[in-house]
Amino acid sequence: MAKTTDYIYGLYDDEVDLMDAIKVANAEHLEIRDVFTPFPVHGLDPLLGLEESRLHIAGFVYGGIGTLTAFLGMTWIFTKDWPIIFGGKPYWSVPAFIPITFELTVLFAAIGMVVSFYIVCGMGPGVQEKTLDDRITDDKFCIAFDKSQVDEHTANSFFKNTGAGEINSKTL
Amino acid sequence: MGATHTQVKIENFSMTKGLTTTLMVMIGIGVFSMGWTWMVDDEAHTRFWTNFLHNASFVTGISFTALFFLCVCITAWAGWVSLFKRMWEAMAQFLLPAFVLMGLLALVVYFGLGHNTLYHWADAKSVETDKILNGKSPFLNKNWYLFATLIIVGTWYFFARKMRSLSIDEDANGTMEFKHHHKMRVWAPAFLPIAGFSSAAIIWQWIMSLDAHWYSTMFAWYSGASWFVSMICTTILVLLYLKSRGYYSQVSDEHIHDLGKFLFAFSIFWTYLWFSQFMLIWYANVGEETGYFLIRMQEYPVLFWANLAINFILPFFVLMRNSTKRKIGSLTFAAVMVLFGHWLDFFLMIKPGALHTAHELAHHGDGHGAHAEGAHAFMTGFHLPGFLEIGTFIGFMGLFLLVFFMALAKAPLTPKNDPYIQESLHHHV
Repeated sequence: MAKTTDYIYGLYDDEVDLMDAIKVANAEHLEIRDVFTPFPVHGLDPLLGLEESRLHIAGFVYGGIGTLTAFLGMTWIFTKDWPIIFGGKPYWSVPAFIPITFELTVLFAAIGMVVSFYIVCGMGPGVQEKTLDDRITDDKFCIAFDKSQVDEHTANSFFKNTGAGEINSKTL
Repeated sequence: MGATHTQVKIENFSMTKGLTTTLMVMIGIGVFSMGWTWMVDDEAHTRFWTNFLHNASFVTGISFTALFFLCVCITAWAGWVSLFKRMWEAMAQFLLPAFVLMGLLALVVYFGLGHNTLYHWADAKSVETDKILNGKSPFLNKNWYLFATLIIVGTWYFFARKMRSLSIDEDANGTMEFKHHHKMRVWAPAFLPIAGFSSAAIIWQWIMSLDAHWYSTMFAWYSGASWFVSMICTTILVLLYLKSRGYYSQVSDEHIHDLGKFLFAFSIFWTYLWFSQFMLIWYANVGEETGYFLIRMQEYPVLFWANLAINFILPFFVLMRNSTKRKIGSLTFAAVMVLFGHWLDFFLMIKPGALHTAHELAHHGDGHGAHAEGAHAFMTGFHLPGFLEIGTFIGFMGLFLLVFFMALAKAPLTPKNDPYIQESLHHHV
């Protein structure tokens, strides 16, 4: 079993309060473990110092694999494996390959990125994801600290000062 | 939300002496190049008139698509453009000179000054003997060419004036009920179907009918996309220029990023249309359709492949990443190349058909059949653009930019009472 972490988290009602709170935490050098919001909040990533996702680089690689699979695959099939003349065209008819090459590029990139994303996030069919609080998927904005990094007393006073509506602890 | 309200900066653009001089020099280069072209030209001045058509229709297209995109944004409630939408209003004001330029060309076609050989269908003798040209004559004839050019470009200009005057009146008399914006939301969607059908018709007769025996149902979309991408390139370049002069300081990387996305996306859209047209004709392999591409691939291979390389491969790879759409260097590079690339695209649409027609009429061909054999000898200005073509392009861009900057200087750069101005100020991608 994976090791557990003790969290202390505060819930805010508004993303503007949340952003202001993060600025305070940054100023006080409190190590934020994670932030949860019900919808994407503009300007959050740079505040948290998050790096740009590398998912799109993976997407490019998957797409490239799709391009090569389709193009080289059709080249092999129609010139070596089972050459057929269609409408008097040459065996190696590049324009006819383009639509399928395009489709497989998109398909490989899409499926590859979805699978990568699921693996990275530990998600998958049947996996029960544990959440700190159900309301972070609805209307609450959450800042979570790891109790081993930020002690409970500091976290409590931080949440109170920055206007969190609720403060809770949970072990996941 | 709504917690931050930013004061919008209202400033006016004023032409500097240096800018006016530069644009005048550009126009001078254009006039000089056109004069020179006229003198070294053949009897019918085919090179001169194809250059004229090429560049005049190119800048007309840029100003038309600026108006079109402005109306799209208003119709779609797109707020992010509000800060700099005056640029598109100003670009659309070029439709008045465009009316004059294209009207002049239509008059030349109508009266057939000297032996005008720009369009095969304009030659009465050919139409008599040529079954295809004869069959197309209800659409491809001098009367309709002149009439449609004047009516369609005139209508475009009317809408350009309308959008512009509503926007400027909003500055002075804007209300909290957004009366002006509601009026714009009537005029803008009204323009969209008009723009869609009329641009297709005008592209058929201005450009596609140069290859009078050939037609493609994809053509209007394809060259319309070419106009659109050129307009986005022009917008990016002019906006970056204005920013470098200290104007539009509130236009941020986020706006530039979105314009970069449009450049990227519509380059791919153009490629999609280009390829759709090519592949269907290649697949069906009908002689009267493949002729269009055969002549371009055999006699114009450099332009044919450069067209795809510059307008698809280059923006696709240069602008794929987030960061390259936000960096001035890479974005400027892509915009300059793609603008030039689409100018080459129009060159390749126009020159082969016109050259073919010129040869045919010069040899008193009876319309078809007698001309298939043999490639035409290489000619600068037809098979590849020469210095005179580049000079003419510089001249027309100079004229376009002069009219644009003069229109831009007449009103504040930002519409202060636009209902979307706060959204635009806080645009974040």
